[in-house]
Amino acid sequence: MKRSFKDDFSLMAMLLIPIGVAINIVGFQLTNVLRLPIFLDTIGTILVGVIAGPWVALLAGLITNLINAIFNPVYLPYALTSMAIGVGAGLLSKFGFFKNVPKTIISVIVITLIAVVVSAPITVLVFGGATGNTSSLITATFLASGQQLWTAVFSSSFIVEIADKVVSVLIVFFIVKGMSDRYLSKLKYGHLYMKRRNRS
Amino acid sequence: MADIVIELQNVSYRYPVSDDYVLKDVSFTIEKGKFTAIIGNNASGKTTLCNAIRGFIPHFYKGDLEGIVRVGGKDTQETQLGQMAEQVGYVFQNPFIQVSGVKDNVFEEVAYGLENLGVPVDEIRLRVEEILKLVNIGHLRDKNPFELSGGQRQRVALASIIVMDPDILVIDEPTSQLDPVGTEQIFDIIRLMKERGKTIVLVEHKMDLIAEYADNLLVMSEGKLVMQGPVREVFGNPEYERYNIQYPHVTEVALQLQKSGMPLAFLPVKDSELAEALNLKGVVACD
Amino acid sequence: MKPNALLQLHPMTKFYFSLFILAVVLIVPGYWFAFSVFLGLVAISLLAGVFKEFIGIVLKALVSVLVIVFLMQIFFFPGEQVLWRWWIFEIKQEGVYYGLILTSRILAIGSAFVLFFRMTEVRDFVKSLEDKGMPPMGAYVVLSTLQIIPEMRRQANTIMEAQKTRGVETEGSLFVRAKAFIPTLTPLILSSIAGTEERALTLESRAFSAPVKKTSLHKLTKSRADRILPILFVLIILGLLVWRVVLWQTS
Repeated sequence: MKRSFKDDFSLMAMLLIPIGVAINIVGFQLTNVLRLPIFLDTIGTILVGVIAGPWVALLAGLITNLINAIFNPVYLPYALTSMAIGVGAGLLSKFGFFKNVPKTIISVIVITLIAVVVSAPITVLVFGGATGNTSSLITATFLASGQQLWTAVFSSSFIVEIADKVVSVLIVFFIVKGMSDRYLSKLKYGHLYMKRRNRS
Repeated sequence: MADIVIELQNVSYRYPVSDDYVLKDVSFTIEKGKFTAIIGNNASGKTTLCNAIRGFIPHFYKGDLEGIVRVGGKDTQETQLGQMAEQVGYVFQNPFIQVSGVKDNVFEEVAYGLENLGVPVDEIRLRVEEILKLVNIGHLRDKNPFELSGGQRQRVALASIIVMDPDILVIDEPTSQLDPVGTEQIFDIIRLMKERGKTIVLVEHKMDLIAEYADNLLVMSEGKLVMQGPVREVFGNPEYERYNIQYPHVTEVALQLQKSGMPLAFLPVKDSELAEALNLKGVVACD
Repeated sequence: MKPNALLQLHPMTKFYFSLFILAVVLIVPGYWFAFSVFLGLVAISLLAGVFKEFIGIVLKALVSVLVIVFLMQIFFFPGEQVLWRWWIFEIKQEGVYYGLILTSRILAIGSAFVLFFRMTEVRDFVKSLEDKGMPPMGAYVVLSTLQIIPEMRRQANTIMEAQKTRGVETEGSLFVRAKAFIPTLTPLILSSIAGTEERALTLESRAFSAPVKKTSLHKLTKSRADRILPILFVLIILGLLVWRVVLWQTS
């Protein structure tokens, strides 16, 4: 068991982490430039999870938030969310949930739920319910209409996350489709997505 | 008998994602201190051969390797990838990707391999200083590797390998993305390494430079090793023409002249030999 | 110029200091303390000569969050004592208090981390973690990430420019802008990934996985202050904890 854990961290998997992190960060900046209402800041983490497994993705998620936190400490507690999303994507991939579009839609829902369940408590406990992003406005609306804090945060977070994750996961799905067999063959779950059957 | 440092016996190989063999039954030996050039057209298996010598095949690329590859007397199948770095230095084509990606300046970049080998810090400084001077990149020492030109980066890449003092250097098309000046500088370094007694395996398309510096040639075609031997013999062999690979310019000119009826004393392969090859038979009479 | 004594501290000492701030702010009740901690951090940033960068990031990253957090609490925190009322909005005493507690703590803890990264080179911090036993692979990953991000940002801009000239709209309605996202990001990702194989070979060629203990040109030194300060932090935290427990039992 210990051995298989170490095997996850091949050199190729390690070199994927910086790229995954950079995709997260550049993707997020791109949404700012294009003034999109979602973040798309977990595309890299999900991608790493899908082709290199949960543990490598956990690390990619953690590093993404640590680096973001250098310039905005608000990201720091949400490292937990990123890590959970990475692990979730990795496990889903292991069981084949990125292989075709219908299964990928199930992945979208699961990853959304993970994101909501981990980030909402952080938003409530650390920041009292809002951090000033798109979902804060929705949260405030729910609160003003008389909902409880937890319900308001959970529902607003779900609305924002589902939009974000539909787009992110689909982008990952198509990127993995565009990867060469030669590259995929060197990563843990790559064989699941190769166009030709692997000789064994 | 001279020391044999690289030995391949009936080596065949295919990558994990393909059905075709990229190397087909390749056998040869390389003696210590020799400069061997691998030539051949695109996709003839030159790079794959380099990867096999360095142990990247099968350790990094996986796939099916048949036959035996021995480097320094040891079977590479049984050697760990990490152990080979000290023995076989490997430099490849793309100068832009060949940086560690974690160092801020050329000095540290060159030192990186020695840090990984666990060389004491004082010794690292001495060895890096020496190599910077040797490769003539001392003036770049404080520059960020990402800000260098292609030629400068390739020299830094070469320096970063040479500094580890490997016995064997495998160099895969180091000048394909460089201008003539850059190419010249790289070959100067390779020549220096040969003088220091290193065994050199070079993949290169620039035949003039190969003819000038290399001892032996391995000619690859469609995964097979079709010719091997001393440079002059291979270029002089009429069989060579069959593989549609370039000749050194001077050889090509001489062969043309020979076809048009001019007798040659011998087949020149270096520029400096042309006059001699023609003069001996009284070129003066030619008009 | 004389090197700044605060900046000269070992990265771990500075890191422990951030954790120390986190702990004391959570232990000591009330918002006055947390706000004064923030003032203390401002003073340190002045002494360390990093005030401008420090306050810039605090203003840019934290202040808007703090305003939102505060507004949320004063309007929506459950309570009885209404201070002010207009239409469906009411401001309650409890909300103001909780808002101040929350914002003062976020400000103090957040600033402590901002200050840490203003006073510490990431490279030094990573090195100190490596000295503490983090695998070299981890150090490589972090440092190479820091080099890849600006590189990829540059490429993203180039691709966007190229697309504009090819007629892909990056302005206009939400849908139009969203459509520009994918053709920018996908080629970027695929091309970065294509380079990893050669990068792996480069690292192997530089003996990255050699089975020996690595050495490093980059050395961090510990001064006397670096040995004393962490102990001091722990003692203060213990003292505060005892004080809290006593206070809680006597009340």
